[in-house]
Amino acid sequence: MSGRTFGPVSRSPIAIAILAAALLAAAPKADAVPSFARQTGMACEACHTVYPELTHFGRVFKANGYILSNVKQVRDVTGKKEELLSLAQTVPLSIMAQISYTQMKTSVPDLSSAGAPGVAQNGTAGFPQQLSLFYAGKIAPNFGAFFQLTYANDSGTIGIDNTDLRFADTALLSNNSPLTYGISLNNNPTVQDLWNTSPAWGFPFAASNANVSPLAGTAIDGAFAQDVAGITGYLFWNESLYAEFGGYRSAKQGQTNALTGGAGPLDGTASNVMSGLAPYWRVAYEYNREQHSIEAGLYGADFRLYPGAGAPLRGPLNQFNDVAEDVQYQFVSDEHQVTIAGTHIHESQTLDASFANGGAANPKDNLSTTRLWATYYYRRKIGGTVGYFSTTGSTDTALYPANPPGGPGVVVSANGSPDTRGWIAEVNYLPWLNVKISAQYTAYNKFNGSGSNYDGVGRSASDNNTLYLLLWFAY
Amino acid sequence: MRNCETNTDRPLTAGAANAVLVLLAAVVLGGAGSAVRADEPDAADKLHAQKIAITVCGTCHGPQGNSTQPKFPRLAGQNANYLATQLKGFRSQARGDPDAIGYMWGMAAELDDDTIAALAAYYAAQKPEASPAGDAAAIARGREIYDHGIAAEGVPACSSCHGPDAHGTQDFPRLAGQHAQYVLKQLASFQSNMRKVAIMHGVAQNLRLPEMQAVAAFLEAQP
Repeated sequence: MSGRTFGPVSRSPIAIAILAAALLAAAPKADAVPSFARQTGMACEACHTVYPELTHFGRVFKANGYILSNVKQVRDVTGKKEELLSLAQTVPLSIMAQISYTQMKTSVPDLSSAGAPGVAQNGTAGFPQQLSLFYAGKIAPNFGAFFQLTYANDSGTIGIDNTDLRFADTALLSNNSPLTYGISLNNNPTVQDLWNTSPAWGFPFAASNANVSPLAGTAIDGAFAQDVAGITGYLFWNESLYAEFGGYRSAKQGQTNALTGGAGPLDGTASNVMSGLAPYWRVAYEYNREQHSIEAGLYGADFRLYPGAGAPLRGPLNQFNDVAEDVQYQFVSDEHQVTIAGTHIHESQTLDASFANGGAANPKDNLSTTRLWATYYYRRKIGGTVGYFSTTGSTDTALYPANPPGGPGVVVSANGSPDTRGWIAEVNYLPWLNVKISAQYTAYNKFNGSGSNYDGVGRSASDNNTLYLLLWFAY
Repeated sequence: MRNCETNTDRPLTAGAANAVLVLLAAVVLGGAGSAVRADEPDAADKLHAQKIAITVCGTCHGPQGNSTQPKFPRLAGQNANYLATQLKGFRSQARGDPDAIGYMWGMAAELDDDTIAALAAYYAAQKPEASPAGDAAAIARGREIYDHGIAAEGVPACSSCHGPDAHGTQDFPRLAGQHAQYVLKQLASFQSNMRKVAIMHGVAQNLRLPEMQAVAAFLEAQP
């Protein structure tokens, strides 16, 4: 769903590699973790409507650091009953697999024979698209982890995926209202968030990695997933009022320093290295009554990046300031589960570095993304979601470049506009609570700035429409 | 009370139900005063239980046990002995209605007897909040069944065990103010014997759905 453009985008191999890395990082990561069920002794439905969407109880469980444990422990205590060790006798490990099939409405050009280009095969099987191993559960009395290692078929390698380590505790205030406080160490802004509205856990929960993604996406919308290290502190009062603040710093995987050969320090060969600490903030309020749960909130971050990719780590920066609103309504009963949710992210871009080196046509740009969706399930067994998405922003012919002469088109914009919008419809069937079979269709009304001939070589937005079939299970 | 959570494989006929119920009730009530009273929790247990109740149980049952979600029973003012018996029933997996399996088997699995006693005492000491009143006609019909039973169907008066005000006793649960949906689900579980309680299986097996709904509506409206 979300291609990413940062800094200069030219047709240089480095820029393409950056784009590829960003696209890879932005591939949807969505998880359901049965080790939590084993640890708590509770069925999935306590924490999820249908995975990975959280219920109120699931949000509280996460805020409390994944530590609620109802299994026998190996323990050590002091004479004052202070807990020194509390190890669950069941190790909280899980596996998850996504097996998929993707069919685009129109396939993309085959680049292997430049003289007489044909088309690539349409219909891509991902077997698996993704296979993950989790450590998800308690580590110590007030310390828990959601730790994911993933094999992905696009990279063909195993790498670090979403990670959220938490210290948390709850105090009873004098009026007996609970105040949960904690610290999260994580590698993806919003992966620590409690609501399925913010990017890391928002809809679509799973998507194809064998289709065409639009050029533009805001920075907080997955651009730095698994590419940063963040520390945030949060307060959750009375299971309703939530506030969080922290910062992120670049923590690139697989990047070495040419001089030392070590894992750092980062130098100018790396692209989009954060300058200092990128602040992240979140406030939200949730109200629960009977079977209804309503949330409204704000979140944002401010990223300052060196363009890198050969340029030294000094001088002008590109700044991406994101402010987002989100809302969620849930109705949860045994029979019916309804969710209506959405988010709107507004990004102000100050592209001093890219404007200076020709990577951006304007010194300042704007970019906004809106997503709205509604989900219904009957008895957590059969259901579906309809979603709308729209990205709009400043026209910038350098940031969203046109097809070069003789180029294949597809991932370009003929008019320099990032505007993309469309619909997603999905039906899901869960024969058991940890096995999901999905059929998802994404239809584009507009893609990289236009509905028809958006790439200047005759491709329409709807040519990128994608049918995605998925078998998704976790154990 | 433990014998309330055991199965009777022998199906009861409507006619036999009353006699058996009265007998069972006498046995249970007779034992209530002595052997199975919850231990009195000490101060540390009380504090511990209060924190668990508010920060863990409270997420579903409400911090003071006045849950607003009909899936989760209201526990404020519930009788301590009954609560302790249920928690032990979840722990031993003797209580087997669907939400007991999905939620409470896990939550109660590692509770020790002291914590169970302290949790039970905590909820017994909380003040029940008034529930919204439902349909007046259903409540009136429910009151009739609650007070007098349905003689023709062999359904005894609920009040004979749960008390005239539905506040229960040490061993029979308080039903006043309970979510109607929760009461309905429990009656269905007694009927199907997923929740195996001989007395209640006998009571519920001849109840029809509109009668259950009426009794549940009446109970929810009670202070």
